[in-house]
Amino acid sequence: MDGHESNLPLAGIRVIDAATVVAAPFCATLLGEFGADVLKVEHPLGGDALRRFGTPTFRDGDTLTWLSEARNKRSVTLNLQHPDGARIFKELAAKSDVLCENFRPGTLEKWGLGWDVLSQINPRLIMLRVTGYGQTGPYKDRPGFARIAHAVGGISYLAGMPKGTPVTPGSTTLGDYMTGLYGCIGVLIALHYREKTGRGQYIDAALYESVFRCSDELVPAYGMYKKVRERHGPHHNDFACPHGHFQTKDGKWVAISCATDKLFARLAKAMGRPELASSSIYGDQKVRLQHANDVNEIVRDWCSSLTRAEVLERCYATATPAAPLNDIADIFGDRQFHARRNLVAIDVDNTGETIIVPNVVPKLSETPGRIKSLGPRLGEHTEEVLKDLLGMSDAEIGELRARRVI
Amino acid sequence: MPLSGIRVIDVGNFLAGPYAASILGEFGAEVLKVEHPIGGDPMRRFGTPTTRHDATLAWLSEARNRKSVTIDLRQREGVELFLKLVAKSDVLIENFRPGTMEEWGLSWPVLREANPGLVMLRVSGYGQTGPYRRRSGFAHIAHAFGGLSYLAGFPGETPVLPGTAPLGDYMASLFGAIGILLALRHKEKTGRGQVIDVGIYEAVFRLLDEIAPAYGLFGKIREREGSGSFIAVPHGHFRTKDDKWVAIACTTDKMFERLAEAMERPELASPELYGDQRKRLAARDTVNQITIEWVGSLTREEVMRRCLEKEVPVGPLNSIADIFEDEHFRARGNLACVEAEGVGGVVVPNVVPTLSETPGRITNLGPPLGNATYEVFRELLNISADEIKRLRSRKII
Repeated sequence: MDGHESNLPLAGIRVIDAATVVAAPFCATLLGEFGADVLKVEHPLGGDALRRFGTPTFRDGDTLTWLSEARNKRSVTLNLQHPDGARIFKELAAKSDVLCENFRPGTLEKWGLGWDVLSQINPRLIMLRVTGYGQTGPYKDRPGFARIAHAVGGISYLAGMPKGTPVTPGSTTLGDYMTGLYGCIGVLIALHYREKTGRGQYIDAALYESVFRCSDELVPAYGMYKKVRERHGPHHNDFACPHGHFQTKDGKWVAISCATDKLFARLAKAMGRPELASSSIYGDQKVRLQHANDVNEIVRDWCSSLTRAEVLERCYATATPAAPLNDIADIFGDRQFHARRNLVAIDVDNTGETIIVPNVVPKLSETPGRIKSLGPRLGEHTEEVLKDLLGMSDAEIGELRARRVI
Repeated sequence: MPLSGIRVIDVGNFLAGPYAASILGEFGAEVLKVEHPIGGDPMRRFGTPTTRHDATLAWLSEARNRKSVTIDLRQREGVELFLKLVAKSDVLIENFRPGTMEEWGLSWPVLREANPGLVMLRVSGYGQTGPYRRRSGFAHIAHAFGGLSYLAGFPGETPVLPGTAPLGDYMASLFGAIGILLALRHKEKTGRGQVIDVGIYEAVFRLLDEIAPAYGLFGKIREREGSGSFIAVPHGHFRTKDDKWVAIACTTDKMFERLAEAMERPELASPELYGDQRKRLAARDTVNQITIEWVGSLTREEVMRRCLEKEVPVGPLNSIADIFEDEHFRARGNLACVEAEGVGGVVVPNVVPTLSETPGRITNLGPPLGNATYEVFRELLNISADEIKRLRSRKII
């Protein structure tokens, strides 16, 4: 390890990622970016389903999502349903700090790899368990994906035109990623506690809970006033106006948000109609909210008379909060994304072929995270891990391979 | 508690950043909300009002587990007091426009000098660097700039809000909390603090699966997908006979087979028909139409029952009223009723995630403005009662 590597906050931490697709694996991805050694334990036949999620590539048909999100991981094949696979898994767990899994509740237990067994083997182990509905409660055995979690957690109900068909809230995997973030917070808190006490624990994360937790005042507003929030379409004018999406002359879209009267005054100035922000017209948020349709109409007319570039230029000139609704092509061309190095080209297996992936978030000043490699080939590191970590011989490994345990 | 003994100063406004402090507080950190003496955090006035003039429902819920300390950072004496507080704290969270803290004389070198072990989370719309750093940015702006808003809505139609307005604020805070916990670990090993720099748009953009590599490699621009998804069919929202909605997600062939069984049309999952995901994607409209018709012929309860029987991934599109009625939310304790000073019981979302040994907890809801000012200055900073009185009369605190 060079100086920077050994200086990373999670250097020396070993993580087993025995999970699939995005949610729990994203937690392992984050830990790996900041120095943890992540072992991706996969079924010998086909491996993680994420390898087939999205657009396939020239590299064994592994998808772009796999290459990007399995970054920094080492792939170890192991059939957990086989008793020898389960035995080797226990040996790995004994030498690891964190285990991420997302099997349906009861599955690991069925294979003899439940929390009671693993925590006995390694009392310092921290285990992240992710499922659609959590480890407890009446729905715990139901299959759950992010789309289902968005629905159950209350966010899908809110996305779409008023009374129209509810739409996907931007991205179908949002809830997976959010759960990975919460899971990672849980793991880091548990690591902190372990430093003090030597004791591990498990984190019980449910996809629907991550989505539900991020719902501002939805819960208390129903609890106290029985207020049921409905779909808002492109404008959310419960608390602020204007606050929405407006189309420009060239058929593009901008977001404008005036949370305060001061910000509306800036917009009025940008529109060349400062009088709109006078107290007798729309200077007061309460008045704007009462006449939201009229205010939105004025902003809509103004936006549709100019190109997106012109609208934004005028908004920025008066410091009005506004932005383009960027598509991915806009993002690739944007100066801010470039300046912040949000897009980074990483070499695929040292072939000279690169793919562009989103860079590490968040940015730490002293110990920045890094992407060392993209998603590994299936089983690429099985041999090295079994040898180096568990001291197995070539003969043993050959025998396990022949029996398809690895 | 895992974070007991950690002191956090939250000097931010609204949610982007401050929510990271809420999480730390839920797991035992002491959180001091430093606010302007007049009016405090504007979050106190954001959203639905309550019987308390200094607290909306959003404030009560999201300013949980804090003590409020008033300091005017625009006054020199206020800055000096703030630095004394920083010297006794572990974490500082702020979300002013980049350059603002510097204008007040609270740049990173000054703060680090006051406390070399300080961990500082800085959240802003566009981050601390780059050409747009001075632009004001809220979650609504970040959703647009980060590429999420473009994707919400029907193809070729008006892009809608991606569910809730402050989503990006929460996401930025989750990344921020991770940064803080990593930095605290580094500090324990080395004694050195550092800065965590999060742009809200980056938090949003980081979560968009393969959108960047797919454009980079194939020039593919993802468009709005309505209630569906490019990855699988059927994978979307369907209206039931009683005018409610369910989500169905058949990501694999096996799951479609189960759905076909639930529909009592197992032949649909045969290889000649739609048994193969590629065939379903090619016949997207037909497969969706079959699902629309079947779901439309039954009540939501009936669709749910039949799908669950066959283990089809299905869920109701819950409104908040549905959520309050749901037995699973109740069993998991997702709704907590917490007493708020001067308001009474308020139902708020409970702590996420659930830890087995050291579960988080809500000790109190959003505090009254300045409720801990005296206690903190008197006991923590050892300032005399007379001096506190003078500071108060000059509106420095």
